[in-house]
Amino acid sequence: MSMSMYILSSGEISALVTELQASYDVYGPQVEPQTKQVFFDQLATPAALDLEAPIPSMPVKEILFPQMERILKYKYDAENQSVAMSKQYFERPKALFGLRPCDLSGILVLDRFFLGQEFVDDVYLTHRRQCLLISNTCLHPFPQCFCVCTHSGPDADEGFDLDLTKLQDGYLLRVGSEKGQAIADAHQWQVATPLHAKEFKAVVDRSIDLFPEMATDNKAWVAKVMNRITTGFVKQETWEYIGDQCFECGACSFVCPTCSCFNIEDTQTPCGECERLRMRDSCSFEGYARMAGDHNPRQPVEDRRNKRFFCKLSYPQSKKYLRPGCVGCGRCQWVCPGDIGLPNVVQYIRREITGGQN
Amino acid sequence: MNLVNYKPCVCNLCGTGCGQFLKTDGHKVYGVSPLIAHPVSKGKLCIRGWHSNELLSTNERITTPLIRENGELREASYDEAIALVAARMQGFDGAAGEIGVLASARSSNEDSFTLARLTRDVFKSTLRGIGAEAGHRKSMAALEHAFGYPGAHGSLTAIDHADYILVVGTDITRQNPVIGGNIHAAQRRGARVVTLSSSRTQIAKLSTKHFQEKPGTLGLLVNALGKALMAIRTVNHDRRANIDQLPGYADYAAALRSISSVALERASGIRYEEIEEEAHHLEQARSIVILFSSGISGLDRPTIDAITNLALLSDRMDHPHSAVIPVAGISNLQGSFDMGMSGELGNSVFKALATPDSRIRALFVIDHDDGIIRDKERIAALDFVVYACAYKSAFMELADVVFPLPAYNETDGTYTASDKRVQITHKNVDSRHHVLPGWSLFERIANTSGQHWGYHSATQVFKDIAAHTRGYGDLSHELLSKGFGQHWNPKGFAGCGRRKFNAINIEYWESPTTPEFPFALMIGKAQHYWHQNNLMRKTIVPRREYDQTLWLYPQGYIEISPDDATRLKVRDKWLVNVRSSIGTHMKIAVKISPDVQDGTAYIPYFIKNMISDFLLPYENAYAAGEESVIPIQIQE
Ligand code: SF4
Ligand code: SF4
Ligand code: SF4
Ligand code: SF4
Repeated sequence: MSMSMYILSSGEISALVTELQASYDVYGPQVEPQTKQVFFDQLATPAALDLEAPIPSMPVKEILFPQMERILKYKYDAENQSVAMSKQYFERPKALFGLRPCDLSGILVLDRFFLGQEFVDDVYLTHRRQCLLISNTCLHPFPQCFCVCTHSGPDADEGFDLDLTKLQDGYLLRVGSEKGQAIADAHQWQVATPLHAKEFKAVVDRSIDLFPEMATDNKAWVAKVMNRITTGFVKQETWEYIGDQCFECGACSFVCPTCSCFNIEDTQTPCGECERLRMRDSCSFEGYARMAGDHNPRQPVEDRRNKRFFCKLSYPQSKKYLRPGCVGCGRCQWVCPGDIGLPNVVQYIRREITGGQN
Repeated sequence: MNLVNYKPCVCNLCGTGCGQFLKTDGHKVYGVSPLIAHPVSKGKLCIRGWHSNELLSTNERITTPLIRENGELREASYDEAIALVAARMQGFDGAAGEIGVLASARSSNEDSFTLARLTRDVFKSTLRGIGAEAGHRKSMAALEHAFGYPGAHGSLTAIDHADYILVVGTDITRQNPVIGGNIHAAQRRGARVVTLSSSRTQIAKLSTKHFQEKPGTLGLLVNALGKALMAIRTVNHDRRANIDQLPGYADYAAALRSISSVALERASGIRYEEIEEEAHHLEQARSIVILFSSGISGLDRPTIDAITNLALLSDRMDHPHSAVIPVAGISNLQGSFDMGMSGELGNSVFKALATPDSRIRALFVIDHDDGIIRDKERIAALDFVVYACAYKSAFMELADVVFPLPAYNETDGTYTASDKRVQITHKNVDSRHHVLPGWSLFERIANTSGQHWGYHSATQVFKDIAAHTRGYGDLSHELLSKGFGQHWNPKGFAGCGRRKFNAINIEYWESPTTPEFPFALMIGKAQHYWHQNNLMRKTIVPRREYDQTLWLYPQGYIEISPDDATRLKVRDKWLVNVRSSIGTHMKIAVKISPDVQDGTAYIPYFIKNMISDFLLPYENAYAAGEESVIPIQIQE
């Protein structure tokens, strides 16, 4: 569909939030007052929304695929030999207002994992169905961003219902879906002019220019590194060097917008019922990688690491998800106590390729 | 419906004191996020911190007071249980040593302070203790002697700036992973990181330099470094004229001079030339951080004395980026000491339990740590046992009265990390069953016993802490709520600012191994679980990781070097017979590890419950901590 574009004032943005709150749980970036840390959380009021806040510290996948959720409750009735079961996840329409493009790309990757394969994940689907996705162009990168290398920012080009970009005159709103168009049609927003479209392009170009050299410079290297990993040419010493730095905390998987490992566990409640919990997991954990039979194919920690990087940076994986598994948000870099976030791993492999130069 | 939000607090799962967010609607905890602005953890958490939501939402909670009746625990009201405790406790003579109180190093300062008051004013007892206190007491004594107050010198944040970082013994990336991460980051920015450790731990691999000494010679090695540094000083005597004026210097210097390089190399396996080279780096550093582990796995006193002496000798301890930090495995070990719950030397509740003819008849216990299992029979035979804890545990079976406690995020409280940083956690979840916080429970017991303290909030308790606890005078809940905590002020101690050398003895440790028992067995490190098993067993993912190890090595494992395995003709996971020099034996699987030296063997600490028969006679080995060695033979 051809893309309609409008120009909205800040007042109209707030009004839109208020309006959406009538039929959706509206989530958006907000700044935690005491620590100034940014979270993409449910908005108590439209005023809490901060579209200029830096990239949220936790990925937006938290809303669709939470760290831990109760999915089922069941109770066995011994007398009647029957099981009473009830599901614990419920469908609530959600509007994700002000997604950074990398997080939007992350959702698209998760969609392919949870919905695009042989089995459709019912829990994810329930959270994901009726989601309204509203993205927000980054006018400049934040420290550690490198989405320019992974084609997932600083602007969004697919998957959104509505997309916002802050321009001189207000917010440029681009429509990306019929659902988005229906919302636009219900308003008398000012239609954007070709000049606005031009300004949008300039804003994105400027943002790309603002990426640190390391990130733009890495762009070509991400492809080379992917090649290297796919063909299995990365030396054992390099993996070991990386593996020695892993503290096995799981953080990189928890904050990654595209990591989808999870674990299921049934626990007993005090009143004799059982709860089925699903929680996020990480391939950096020895127990996760365990396979049936008395051996663990990925026992040394360096091998478990290379699995995660293989997942993020190899061709078979990117074919599966139609893009690299990494969306360049840089969060793994900032939570890793071992200093082996993905950008660093690219650097290490790059150093191996160049024989230490650079 | 309440919105789900992230609420800042302090991780309570080790003595690092990382900043964390809990994702909660005020009733349940759904997730965790690291806190980026926290000065120590800077957006990092370890596997324990990342999974605290699992612990905090476990169903294995004590939810109501319980009273034992006809051998069974039954539910009771607070009024009934408190009245029973007050009445029974009055029947014992606390002053005569009949009542023991065992505090928890995970409790808040508010809880420990009021518990100390209950012990002193109501139970009239001096018989008290904290799990894991023995090791920490040694650290405190050595530090107080050296610096004039019982606590860390300097801040953990010094790691981020120091030129030189010395890690003595501890397997820090396992025990306090976030500190380990900061050290690694320091190494990458160019600091010189030196690890002294008998096995090739992860931090050893990440260090600029690793000295892999023979077991039992850590203190000797630190002293040798002192000798080499002193020798450089003698040449460069234009600098630092006043170090030799400090009390104890002459004896220390004489002892250092007596170190023979031949004997050093024979005992430790390290050449003195290597140490001399290292001393040059140490000499050039402007700021120096020394870290060692304190508590149950801590070092022995002579080794800690060697460390504090080296710190003073370096003459860099006044630099703002220098520090000497006893790193605690348990969250509020330092605070429990500060609040006065540590047993006085020689009069701890542990000793009373271990001495068959002691007068102890009643015990009041908060949480409990592995060590207490040793005294199980004695405890079962006591007249009256009270137990309070947030989580169900085997200890309930020993108790006559049980009280629930809130989890760390269900009540306001302050915690003092390894470097004296006092931090506050505000209640962010309603305790599900109207559970009284510890301080309030103790106050009500005092009340029922006729004493009225008049505390209505943790904030009010803290005012008393500030008024009565040295170092805490400047602090208040209001102040602590503003940033990310504040170190308590050593100026609260009269001796603050003084410097004194500890007396040392140079001993060339002779390994107790013999041709018949040629392996030096050490009990140590366990991936992820150090000290935290009681809690980690209640999580899901960390517990699975623990089970994974058991699954691979169901009998537990003993780590030996590849060469020793070849000599013994055994392969990984094969069962071997292990016999100790005092005749205990066990069958255990071999785990071959290139990180272990020839002639040494390791058993992870957590495997203790599986092989307790083998280790129990070695109580002293526990007391001696990280450097203890058991001579064994291993046979196919
Ligand atoms: S791998 Fe790291 S940088 Fe890439 S998407 Fe995941 S968290 Fe972001
Ligand atoms: S990685 Fe790119 S899209 Fe994501 S926040 Fe940074 S600049 Fe924006
Ligand atoms: S965040 Fe770093 S240390 Fe933690 S599991 Fe990932 S790679 Fe390992
Ligand atoms: S290092 Fe300690 S305080 Fe930090 S997250 Fe881990 S357990 Fe918690």
